[in-house]
Amino acid sequence: MSLEELFKEIIIEHYQHPKNHGHLDHPDAKSEGSNPLCGDELQMEIAFEGDRIKDVMFSGNGCSISQSAASLMTEAIKGKAVGDARRIMEEYKHMLQGSTYNADMLGDLEALSDVKKFPARVKCASLSMAVLDQALQQKK
Amino acid sequence: MDIEKIRKDFPVLSRMVRDRPLVYLDNAATTQKPAAVIEAITGLYRNYNANVHRGVYLLAEECTQAYEDSREAVRRFINAGSTEEIVFTRNATEALNLIAYTWAEANLRAGDEIVVTIMEHHSNYVPWFRLARRKGAVIRIVPARKDGELDMDAYRSLLSSRTKLVGIAHMSNVFGTINPVKEMIALAHRQGAAVVVDGAQSAPHIRIDMQDLDCDFFALSGHKMLGPTGIGVLYAKSSYFKSMEPFLSGGEMILRVTLDDIVYNDLPWKFEAGTPNYEGAIGLKAAIEYLEALGMDTIEAYERELTTYALEKMRTVPDIFVYGPSDPSKKCGIVAFNIRGVHSHDIGTILDSEGIAIRAGHHCAQPLMIDCGVSAMARASFYFYNTRQEIDMLVKALNKAKGMFGHVA
Repeated sequence: MSLEELFKEIIIEHYQHPKNHGHLDHPDAKSEGSNPLCGDELQMEIAFEGDRIKDVMFSGNGCSISQSAASLMTEAIKGKAVGDARRIMEEYKHMLQGSTYNADMLGDLEALSDVKKFPARVKCASLSMAVLDQALQQKK
Repeated sequence: MDIEKIRKDFPVLSRMVRDRPLVYLDNAATTQKPAAVIEAITGLYRNYNANVHRGVYLLAEECTQAYEDSREAVRRFINAGSTEEIVFTRNATEALNLIAYTWAEANLRAGDEIVVTIMEHHSNYVPWFRLARRKGAVIRIVPARKDGELDMDAYRSLLSSRTKLVGIAHMSNVFGTINPVKEMIALAHRQGAAVVVDGAQSAPHIRIDMQDLDCDFFALSGHKMLGPTGIGVLYAKSSYFKSMEPFLSGGEMILRVTLDDIVYNDLPWKFEAGTPNYEGAIGLKAAIEYLEALGMDTIEAYERELTTYALEKMRTVPDIFVYGPSDPSKKCGIVAFNIRGVHSHDIGTILDSEGIAIRAGHHCAQPLMIDCGVSAMARASFYFYNTRQEIDMLVKALNKAKGMFGHVA
């Protein structure tokens, strides 16, 4: 394992200049979660338009992995139908578990594929997915 | 102290981690074990294992003697008046809970006040928080000053005749601050309050003297002072132990059981229900003997020198912020810090790739994290087997971490 595998340029870029960071004026769904062990904190807000994720924003604080994952994940699902977002999240989960996954569906999220080599950090990468999942469940 | 010779006593310190020599700087979480402790435990199982206080045969006598010798070693180590005042528990957390569920449960009423400091580990806060909820008691918090020391003026003004219990971390597991417990105990006693000192961090590093401190309760954890896991100690003045109901019930803690009456055992066994962790106690005795052979004053002086060196060197890392007292005479063995632009988890991972073990996170002290306006910190914590060279390696790795994340505006 090398550090460069974990801290790829794109990860540091999303950590230092996160996309979709902040709050929505009128979110339809809100959720939050944390990693009790390490103190990573994350909130997700979603605005829906029909079956589509019209907008999504995250806030919180934590390590480069948890925050860049949130940035990359929100980029990946913004504008997508809820079902498609769920499929992306499922592939992402497979990737973190070390199973086979569909790289085309993940796009830039694949930058986090080497997190699985750092078992102590998998939780950091999973947090945004868990919080997002809670928010999506609020969709009527 | 001959550190190179001392390091040879600790088998794990010679192992490689990620192709580099292990630099173990997470001693506030748990310490490594010298061969003497490991051998005391294997020696028990190889030679004289038997349940204590039960058998009439030789093995049982030897094992019981070893267990009770361990109690005497603890008594001597903290200078308690009598072994009646030494109860073995699972850890400091269990010791603190024992007080909460026995003495405090029986003695606190609605409206009574519990004074604890902002520096408490969750183990000396959550039990009192829950007790306060059960009883309708009120928790008062002693704040910390900007320099990482307790605000003693605030402490004085919080104490009143309503104060029934005061809980103090002898040494902060985050700041490393050694709190002025002796003075705080005297002030609390003037108001008639009982004082609980959490000694989990202090007992490994500084001389502990129950006669000098005059606290009512003192808790420590064996694994933070070279001993095995699963063994802790609750000291209480015998006047307290005598007045307290048992905590856990079962074998060992009784003298006589009939279908309609129970007579509890004498002190300290009244508080040791079930087969005790004699393996842990015997390991702890070997740990105490190791510490005593080095001398606690020698250990403290060496660690203070190491902490002074660490503070000086670590401050050279760009954008580092060190928490807690900057005066090394006010603290011992712990340096908590953050580096702007590099989260403490990332620091932890980068250091790990260099074979350096530190802690990152909230350190089971979330109220203190909130007070400092952060959700996490990195923490390097030293013991007497650490060296200046290891601190140099730490500082080099911190610079590497800072470099990897570049400079953030």
